[in-house]
Amino acid sequence: MRNVILLLCAFVLVGGVARAHHSYGATYDTKKEIKLEGKLAQFVYRNPHSFVHMTAKDENGEMQRWAVEWSGTAQLANSGVQRDSLKVGDDIVVTGRPSRVPGEYRILMVRLVRPSDGFTWGSGAGQVVD
Amino acid sequence: MVRAPRSSSFARLLLALAAVLASAPVFTQPARPATPPDISGEWRLENNEEDTTAQPPLGEYLGIPFNEAGRLRSDTTAESIWGTPEYQCRPHSAPHQWRGLGGARILKEQDPLTREVKVYHIQFMRSLDRPIFMDGRPRPPAYAPHSWTGFSTGEWVGNTLKITATHFKDGYLKRGGPQVSDMYSMTEFITRHGDLLTIVSVTDDPVYQDEPYVQSTTYQIDPTGSVAMETCNGSSFAENGGTDRHHVPHFLPGQNADARAEWLKDQSWIPPQAALGGVKTTYPEYRATLNGAISESALTVPSSKSAINLDQRIAAQAPRDGEVHVLPVQGNVYMLVVDGYNITASVGQDGVLMVNTGPANMTEKLQAAVNQLATMVEAQRTTNSCAGANCPGAWGWSSPYMNAVISSPAPPRPLRYIINTSASPENVGGNEKLATSGFFPRVQGFGTAVTNVGRGASIVAHENVLNRMQTPVGKQPAAPAVAQPTDTYFDEFHKLPEYVNGEAIIVYYAPKATTDGDSIVFFRHSEVISAGSLYSTVSYPVIEVDKGGSIQGVLDGLNKILDLAVAEYRAQGGTWIIPGRGRLSDTADVASYRNMIHIIRDRVQDMIKKGMTLEQVKAAKPTLDFDRRYGSTTGAWTTDMFVEAVYRSLREKK
Repeated sequence: MRNVILLLCAFVLVGGVARAHHSYGATYDTKKEIKLEGKLAQFVYRNPHSFVHMTAKDENGEMQRWAVEWSGTAQLANSGVQRDSLKVGDDIVVTGRPSRVPGEYRILMVRLVRPSDGFTWGSGAGQVVD
Repeated sequence: MVRAPRSSSFARLLLALAAVLASAPVFTQPARPATPPDISGEWRLENNEEDTTAQPPLGEYLGIPFNEAGRLRSDTTAESIWGTPEYQCRPHSAPHQWRGLGGARILKEQDPLTREVKVYHIQFMRSLDRPIFMDGRPRPPAYAPHSWTGFSTGEWVGNTLKITATHFKDGYLKRGGPQVSDMYSMTEFITRHGDLLTIVSVTDDPVYQDEPYVQSTTYQIDPTGSVAMETCNGSSFAENGGTDRHHVPHFLPGQNADARAEWLKDQSWIPPQAALGGVKTTYPEYRATLNGAISESALTVPSSKSAINLDQRIAAQAPRDGEVHVLPVQGNVYMLVVDGYNITASVGQDGVLMVNTGPANMTEKLQAAVNQLATMVEAQRTTNSCAGANCPGAWGWSSPYMNAVISSPAPPRPLRYIINTSASPENVGGNEKLATSGFFPRVQGFGTAVTNVGRGASIVAHENVLNRMQTPVGKQPAAPAVAQPTDTYFDEFHKLPEYVNGEAIIVYYAPKATTDGDSIVFFRHSEVISAGSLYSTVSYPVIEVDKGGSIQGVLDGLNKILDLAVAEYRAQGGTWIIPGRGRLSDTADVASYRNMIHIIRDRVQDMIKKGMTLEQVKAAKPTLDFDRRYGSTTGAWTTDMFVEAVYRSLREKK
């Protein structure tokens, strides 16, 4: 029981760190959602926020490099995502909240799917970036 | 029974009298307790006044005495600015820091003899150490750098520690958009009540506020706590996507207007006008405007004013006092403030190198100051530390001991290089006299100077500087031959052919910036960049469109500086940047200035796309939120002239 409480405390602290870095609601338009299909260029597994970089087409059909903001390492690990869960070159489909700044290639992760093996994040318990 | 000698009793009486006299000031000055309360320790934020750490909704300025400029600056600031390389490692700004997560630690640094507290150190999870000097030291000059923690002095007033702080960088008043300029001061009052610590902070920002903003925060002692340190995972990480490392996120005026409406629609009890902030909305009398009893424009409130004379505070960063002020920077490099214009000087064993020579009327004072500096640096005498025939560097078999004691110091080495970052009068004004007084071993034959060039200091500049100085303009004749550059370059950069004072010095071309001949000078070992006219902390850049200048060129030049510079820690310090005018700066300061130039360019560009004329653009005030800081309605470079230069250079770029 004590370990559970400690873990909970650690989670709260890590959550606090993430919250203090910048605000998701202020950065992203949480009422909108866009979908990107492309290749993973880089997976940065780090605190306070992890990032998936992918190349995918924008609304004009031009290829862009997108930065998809994800949770910190503790939250990702708790939801089954490790440093080696994704590989450069993976074909992925990402759904997320677009940046509030027009023309910015930055989104907040809502759901990630890797069709080749069905790896999915975003539909299970706790699989929400907050 | 042994009595104390009479003299001893008398001495005790004198001592007692002295003690009474010494304590006399207690009755005439604010009462300083004999033993001030101990505020040191680990403190936990008590989030009991409001949700102090939470992110307020976008556009929520309730209770903030914003003026029009503060509101616009905040409305157009995008949160994703924190994803840019220059922002990722920034700590909380000082006005918000007490309300940041992670608690606070207060340490005491005591004088080992008197045991009095010399300095309090305040630390937060992601801040830098903030010293509060209790020893009465004076404030630094206005041309000294600003930092995230500012420069703070403290004094006890009764049981309250009063902190007065200046020299802050720009940032935010609270999370979620409300901005502060780099001109604000903070006064904090820290009072301990048992296990509680109350901090009342007064943020006085005359650029964006109509009166100081006051907030209080409560902490509780936390003996088992320990402030964590959050490291920064490094800058230059592309958090904003895309491939443009110079991307500056922002909103055009009105573009983000629905953000405020978004949260207000669920908060029907909040009058929309009050959500915009403003000094009148912060007073109870404002309620009369809500029921229609009085219009807001007719309402008067007993507001206090800023204690800061903004114009004076800005001008003090570049004092036009006819004097030369020397600020040691880093390595070999010094900043000389010459009647408001900055000269960069490298001083060392090879001699002197100067970036620009200041206004012509200041040459004699500048020369005297440089000579004094060179003498101090190069010819400073120290005590001999080696005796005996085996001392390193001894010539022959005699000890240098005697000579070190009896000889006089060697004269300072001469001025060898002048680098002109443009042909503007304030940059080349002293060329003629200073170059002549210098020495560069430029010989035609042994011991003979090259005809028409002489053996004066080498003058390095982009070739367009030479072209301008050679060409008479109207009634103004060409510059004297000895004042003209002797060594020009035309490429994207020029490396000086050899180390000067032990380091490489590289001159980078900044095309179409304030003119067509701008340079940036990088001192590679000292880690200093001399920015020339591209960068000023006291005005908008003086863009001379008729001489090939452009807003885009200035922006590119500032980005070049940011590409070269590296912050030491938490996005401050590291590479120092000496502006053409104003205070010594670092990457964070240049990034803020770059952002302003970028934002103004985008706004004017957008207006041009909409078909607006120059007069319409001026009337739309695209620089409104920066005018109190950098603009002017009088003098040689007004806001109107700047906007016109931006407009023209964007219109004419095609």
